[in-house]
Amino acid sequence: MRAEELKGHLDALLLAALEDGPRHGYAVMEALRQSTGGRLDLPTGTIYPALHRLEAAGLIAGSWSVVAGRRRRVYELTAAGKEALSGKRAGWRDFAAIMSAALEGRPCQGPA
Amino acid sequence: MPGPRLIRGYLAELSADLPGRIVDELADGLDETYRRYLGQGLDPDAAAQEAVAEFGEPRRIVAAFAHASRGRTTARRLLAAGPAVGMCWAVILITARAWQWPVPVVARALFGVALITVIGLLAAAALGRHYRLVCRAAAAACVGTAMLDAVMITTVLVFVHILVWPVAAAVALSACRATFALRNVPHALTG
Repeated sequence: MRAEELKGHLDALLLAALEDGPRHGYAVMEALRQSTGGRLDLPTGTIYPALHRLEAAGLIAGSWSVVAGRRRRVYELTAAGKEALSGKRAGWRDFAAIMSAALEGRPCQGPA
Repeated sequence: MPGPRLIRGYLAELSADLPGRIVDELADGLDETYRRYLGQGLDPDAAAQEAVAEFGEPRRIVAAFAHASRGRTTARRLLAAGPAVGMCWAVILITARAWQWPVPVVARALFGVALITVIGLLAAAALGRHYRLVCRAAAAACVGTAMLDAVMITTVLVFVHILVWPVAAAVALSACRATFALRNVPHALTG
């Protein structure tokens, strides 16, 4: 899956990658790679600006540490980030159900 | 960061347009990527090539940081608010026959030039692809916007002696915008 197809969904993917605990940028990319079976074709460098945007929005919080003499920025979900992730998950389920119904000709179940 | 010349060159290219703290973060990720390829058995040069390719073009990364910067967000908000605030002031200036006020032509011309400059800076911050340019343009535009608002508020309060509701509304809007702009100067500068 290419970066263009991810437009609008990258934030949810990044938030989900941080759900299990704090991670630095590279570890976030690795988590995404593992969870998608390596099918995510996204330049690693573009993960970092997205993380900065989420931090500015208050959805994740970053802190510096030093690992093997290198400065490393680690991110974790904030309470607002956890809430946003729940909302994005619910929105995605609805979207996927509607699209599946429309594309595969199956009747869509209405909201519970 | 120690490592092959290719990685050092890549980071130097990023350093030209990104602040040190961001380059440090990217260097850490790039080093991890490089080590992963080394661990897969690639020689240092091949590992560096793969790591740099995986990270993406520096130009694209810089543009993505410029796009995600708070300076750009602030500039876009100020641009969005501009027409509404401008309309309020235009109504007051026309109603109060501002062209008859004893304001020197030079002062009017300076205000016009400042207004055009601020709009240009906001547009540069909202559309630019160079991180430093976006941050500096946004910060300068924030200061400029606050100064223009202060000049408008002062001028109108000096020449319009009756505080009717359109004047009160325009002053309040302008004051809010100036406060927002000034509060965002540090954020715009740090990205």
